[in-house]
Amino acid sequence: MNYPVWEPPLLGGGLVIGIIAILHVFVSHFAVGGGLFLPITERKAYRENNAALLEYVKSHSTFFVLVVLVFGAVSGVGIWWSIGLVNPEATATLIHVFVWGWAIEWVFFFVEIAAAFIYYYGWDRLDAKTHLVVGWIYFVSAWLSLFVINGILAFMLTPGKWIEAPSFAAAFFNPSMFPSCLMRTAVSVALAGVYALVTAATIRDVALRIDVVRYAAKWVLAGTLAIPVAGVWYIATLPPMAREIPMGTAPPVTIFAGLSIFFSLLIVTFTYFGPYQYPRYFNLTFAFLIAVLALSATGVTEWVREAVRKPYIIYDYMYANTLRVADVPRVRQQGVLSAALWVHQHTVDMEKPELSGREVFRVQCASCHTVDGYNSIRFAVKGWSPEMIDYLLLHLNELKGFMPPFVGTEAERVALRAWLLTLNPQPTVREPARPGVQAEVPAADRPGATKP
Amino acid sequence: MNPVIPAPVPVPLPAPAWLVQVLLVFTFILHLLLMNMLVGGGVILALSSYLGRRDPRHRDLARRGARVMPPVVAFTITLGVAPLLFLQLLYGQFFYTSSVLMAWKWLAVFVFLTAAYYGIYWFNFQQAALGGRAFWVMLVTALILVHIMMTFTQNMSFLERPQDFYPRFLETPVGNYLGSFDGGTMARLAHFLVAALAVAGLGLALVTRAWRGEAPELAIWAHRYGLRWFLAGSGLQFLVGPWFFFSLPADIRSSFLGVDKLATGILAVAVVLALLAMIAARRSLAVGTVAIVGTISLMAVMRHLVRIARLRPYFDPHTLPVQGQWGVFAIFAVLLLAGLATVGWMLYKFFRPASARATSA
Repeated sequence: MNYPVWEPPLLGGGLVIGIIAILHVFVSHFAVGGGLFLPITERKAYRENNAALLEYVKSHSTFFVLVVLVFGAVSGVGIWWSIGLVNPEATATLIHVFVWGWAIEWVFFFVEIAAAFIYYYGWDRLDAKTHLVVGWIYFVSAWLSLFVINGILAFMLTPGKWIEAPSFAAAFFNPSMFPSCLMRTAVSVALAGVYALVTAATIRDVALRIDVVRYAAKWVLAGTLAIPVAGVWYIATLPPMAREIPMGTAPPVTIFAGLSIFFSLLIVTFTYFGPYQYPRYFNLTFAFLIAVLALSATGVTEWVREAVRKPYIIYDYMYANTLRVADVPRVRQQGVLSAALWVHQHTVDMEKPELSGREVFRVQCASCHTVDGYNSIRFAVKGWSPEMIDYLLLHLNELKGFMPPFVGTEAERVALRAWLLTLNPQPTVREPARPGVQAEVPAADRPGATKP
Repeated sequence: MNPVIPAPVPVPLPAPAWLVQVLLVFTFILHLLLMNMLVGGGVILALSSYLGRRDPRHRDLARRGARVMPPVVAFTITLGVAPLLFLQLLYGQFFYTSSVLMAWKWLAVFVFLTAAYYGIYWFNFQQAALGGRAFWVMLVTALILVHIMMTFTQNMSFLERPQDFYPRFLETPVGNYLGSFDGGTMARLAHFLVAALAVAGLGLALVTRAWRGEAPELAIWAHRYGLRWFLAGSGLQFLVGPWFFFSLPADIRSSFLGVDKLATGILAVAVVLALLAMIAARRSLAVGTVAIVGTISLMAVMRHLVRIARLRPYFDPHTLPVQGQWGVFAIFAVLLLAGLATVGWMLYKFFRPASARATSA
C-alpha cells in the first residue's frame, strides 16, 4: 500500500527473491560448514603429519575463497537488495525491529571476511598454530553470523511473544529460532562435505583421493542424518496452519515437501553407496550429481519454508501483500485504492471497472501472483464464472487458508472481478442436463459479465 | 502538487535519530575510503595493464597492484553494508521508493558486482596467462565498477528528490526508470570519480612501501606514479567540485557560503585540508594521508547535511518515535570492540616481520 509495486514479468517478485536466496543459502551454509571443515581437516593433517592432505586443504581453501567470499557475500547483499525492492514495507519493519541485531551480524561478517583473507593468504606467512587459530576465528564468526540472521528469519515465521509485547529479545528468541539454527548448522556440515567431495574428486594422488573422498562423505552423512532430528523439533514449533499447508492443504507445497525428503534420501543413499563405500570409483561427475541434488534439496526446502508462512510475511502481523493485520479494518472501510499511494486511480472508475481492477490486483495480489508467469492469475481463474470469483473474493482466506483476505470496498471487489474476467475467454456454462434439453449460454450475455 | 512519500513504519526507532546519523556517516566514511581505492584502483590498473604491454614498470605495477584488490573489493562491500543499513532505518521511505522505481537498474548492481568481483580475481590470478587480454578483463571490470558508482549516485540523488517520485511513477512502469542523467547528478558522479582516482593514487603510493624489500626500483617509481594520480585528481577536483557545488539548489549552496556557520566552516576546513594534503604528500605521505582522510570525512559530513537540507521540507528524522534498545546496542558496541581487537590481532600476526614470525613458529 505504502510503496510502488514492482512487477517483474513472468517471475514475479517472490521468485526473484527466491532464485537469489536459494543460491545464497547453498553457498552461505557452505561458508559456515566449510569454515568448520578447513581447520578440522588442517589439524588432522598436522596430527597425522600428512603433507599431501595439507596441500589438499590449501587448494580447497582457494576454492572456498572464490565461492564464499565472492558469491556468498555478494548474493547475501543481493537478497537484501531484492527484499527491499519486492517487500519494502516488511524489510523496513524488520530493520526497525532488528537493526542492532543486523549491526551485530555485520561485526561478525567483518571479522569473518578478515579471517578468511588472513587464513587464505596466511598459509605461508603464519605458523601452523596461529593459522589454525585464524581458521577457528573464521568459523566462529561465520557461525555467529548464521545465528543472528537465523533469528531474524525465524522471527518472520514465528514472531511469538513479540506480537503482544514487542521487544528485541522477544523477537529474536522466538519459538523456532533454536531448532532452525540447529537445522541450519546440520545443513552447513552436510554442505561442507558436498563441496569437499567436488574438490576431493580432482585430487590426482589416488591414495589421498580415496582418503579424502571417504572423509568428505562422512561429513555429508553426519550432516544430512542430523537434519531430521532438528527438523522434527523445528516443525513442532510452527503455527498449526504452517504444519497443515505441506500436509495436503496446498498440493504443490506437499509435493515440494516430499521432494525435500526425497532429495535428502537420495543424497544419503548416493553418498553412502558411492563415495563412502566405494571411494575409489568416485569421480567429478558423481560429485556434481550430489551437489546438484544438494542444491535441489536446498531449493525445495527453502521454497517450502517460505510457502508455509503464507498468508503472512511476518506471521500474524503482516500479510504477504505487506498489509498489516491491524490495518485491515481501516483499509476495508477506506478502500484499498484510496489507501494505496502508488496507483493510477484512487477511486473505482465505474465506466471502466477493469482498469481499476488491475490497480487493485497490483497493490493487493501482485506480491505473490503474476499475470502470466509464476503463480499466474490468468491460469488461476481460467474457466471461472463471475459468481465463482465473487464468492472466492468474499471468502478468500477461508477457502484458501494460505491467502490473505480480500481487503477493499464492494466497488473495488467488483472492479477486481471485472478485470479477472477479462483475462480469459468466458466459459461456456452448461445447464444441468435435462432429458432432451442442453442449453449453452454465452458467458458474455450473462449478468455481471464484462467484455474485455 | 505535494510529493507522494510513504509513511515511516509504525515501529519506533531503536535508537535516537542522532546516534543513527552518527553511525551512518561514520561507517559511510570507511566505505568511501575503500570504494575510492576500488574504483580508482580499477581504472589505474586497467591503464597500467595497457601500458604494461610496452613498459615493464607498468606490467609489474599491474601485477603487484592486482594482489591488493580482492581484499579491497571485499571490504568495500562489507563496509558498505553498515551505512546502507542505517540509511534504510532512518530514510527507508525515501530509499525504498527511489530504489523500487529504478528496480531493474538497482538489482543489476548485485549482478554487476559479482561480475566485477570475479573480474578482479581473474585479473589477479591469471594475469600472466591472459597476456594482452588481461587489459580487456580489467577495463571491463573498471567500467562495471564505474557503472555501479553511477547507479549509486543516481539512486542516492533520486532519494533526495521526493518531489520527482510520483512524476516518474506516472511516466515509467515501476522498476524501469534508469535514473537521472541531468547535470547535477553527472556532476556528482564526476566529483566521486575524480576523488576515487586521487585516493587510489595515494593508496598506491602507500602500498608501494610494502614493495621496497622485493622490488625497490619499482617501489620508488610506483610511489611517484601514485602521487601523480593523487595530485592530478585532487587538482582536477578544484574544477569538478565547484561544478557539483553549483549544481546544488541555491538555498543549500548559500548555507555553505556563510548562511550556516557550521556548514561553511566544514567546507572551508575540508578545502584547506585538501590543499594541505596536496602540498604535504610529496614530503610526508603520512601527513598527506591524514589530511585527505580528514577532507573525505568532512565531505561525508557535508553530504549528510545536504541530504538533511534537501529532505527537510518533507521529513525530519528527529520527529520519529524512539524506544531505545540500549541493551542490544551495548552488546553491539562490545562486540564491535572485540571484533576490531580480533582483526587487529590477526593483522599483527600477519604483518609482523618475517624474522619474528620465524622465531615463534
